[in-house]
Amino acid sequence: MWLRFPAAAALFGAAAVSCAAFMAPDAAAQDVAAGRRKAVACQACHGLDGIAKQPDAPNLAAQPASYLERELRAYRAGTRRSEVMAVAVKALSDVDLRDLAAYYSAIQIEVKAVPQ
Amino acid sequence: MTRTGMATAFAVALALGGIAPAQGQQNIEKLKQFKVSGTDLNIPPVPQTGKNADAIRENLKRVKLPPGFKIDLYAIVPDARHMAVAPSTNMLFVGTRKTTVWAVTDRNSDYVADEVKAFAPSLKFQVPNGVCWTKDGFLIVVEHNRILNFPAAEFFYEGPDVAVIEVVPQGQLIPPEEESFNHGARACRVGADKMLYVALGQPFNVPPREKLELFKKVGIGGIIRLNPFDGSKREVYATGVRNSVGLDFNPKDGSLWFTDNQTDGMGDDIPAGEVNRATKPGQFFGYPWKQGRTRITENGYDKDPLPANITDPQVYTDAHAADLGMTFYTGKQFPAKYQGGFFTAQHGSWNRTKPIGARVMFTSLKADGTADKTEIFADGWLDENGIYRGRPVDVAVLHDGSLLISDDFAGAIYRVSYPQ
Repeated sequence: MWLRFPAAAALFGAAAVSCAAFMAPDAAAQDVAAGRRKAVACQACHGLDGIAKQPDAPNLAAQPASYLERELRAYRAGTRRSEVMAVAVKALSDVDLRDLAAYYSAIQIEVKAVPQ
Repeated sequence: MTRTGMATAFAVALALGGIAPAQGQQNIEKLKQFKVSGTDLNIPPVPQTGKNADAIRENLKRVKLPPGFKIDLYAIVPDARHMAVAPSTNMLFVGTRKTTVWAVTDRNSDYVADEVKAFAPSLKFQVPNGVCWTKDGFLIVVEHNRILNFPAAEFFYEGPDVAVIEVVPQGQLIPPEEESFNHGARACRVGADKMLYVALGQPFNVPPREKLELFKKVGIGGIIRLNPFDGSKREVYATGVRNSVGLDFNPKDGSLWFTDNQTDGMGDDIPAGEVNRATKPGQFFGYPWKQGRTRITENGYDKDPLPANITDPQVYTDAHAADLGMTFYTGKQFPAKYQGGFFTAQHGSWNRTKPIGARVMFTSLKADGTADKTEIFADGWLDENGIYRGRPVDVAVLHDGSLLISDDFAGAIYRVSYPQ
């Protein structure tokens, strides 16, 4: 499925390289690809590019996967509260959370300007 | 507008007190007395050409319309939400869920906007989503928790300082402790009774029981009405609504129609969304006990006996399609079947397994004023991979009878016309 998206395919490649030290490249790429498919349920607010599309949602692009996974778990456990996120994570498995975290963390961003 | 109307309005504005630490509030105090705020006179315009405009035009080629209709890019307007077409010039105001209200002007009357600038930039707006007009040309801006009224806005907007009346001061539309990011965007209309009608979404997916009494009293999860100049005579007009972000009066019979957004977390296919019709004050539309044809399970509302006095919807819409803005079609340009019916914009689902929505619907009415048939009018912003290329928010009729569609995802306004 992800072969239909050349830009995303390049992205998966990059992620695979950076994870190579502790994970088989294929497995890492698989998480990202699976995460991209599952992110269709996140795109309306967080964007498929990880840049927020709604004013009440944060950017997720390039957030560390460990942070994203921990926060998603917190939403699911109810220890971090949000009306929207409570619904979004309700049916997600541990694998889903990991895949989504892998996908959004694999998006590469660049800071263009910092106010002086 | 009448001179006495304006004079009265200003007297009211001056009489109202204001407490205010912030710069925005200091500015509003100055503008209420026609003093300058000292804001830069040059308001930077939003670029209307280039790569972004070209990409949006390309995406519009995917949009399907009934035969004979065409769609074009009307304006680049970042975060474009609800629209208020000016009564006597070729311009409109556009709300956002951020901090800007946009003034969009078609200077040469070619039905493409030439200039998009921030309106009243010296005021600090907070989620100024709701924009609408009084019958005599005062622009109402409904923020998350404040209502402002701008006399002759379509003439004063060219500079940064505009005349303003504080209708409901900051923190008095809803109790400040009930403020929420969720469902905080307002929609408004002024009725034939000259009262301002404001839809107030309740901030939860499903409200907890302990909030119901307060919400009913304030009109949260309902529609309120009040005087559009001094905020007096406020009353709750309709209750039992989850989160309405679109309403319009049928000019033919004066009934107030409004959309309602679907409850999340009950699966892909329930509950249906609603388009409702209020024919008198005090009607109850069923939430949170029922939405569409579905009993709401969260907090056990489905275990309660169904309240007896529910006014059922006129139109049941697709689950999660997120029906937002609506307008009756008052123009003459479109074929006869559209005249007297209404358009609704579907923002599109956010976490449905297979996304649905991102389209504009049309509903015709029966002779008795109730809804007849609903059909897809404009579709195609959701691509073959389930990815959004745009998300329609509101619809508005231009003076020539063409239809504007706002899109807060692409940051644009489109115009649908029916060339002869």
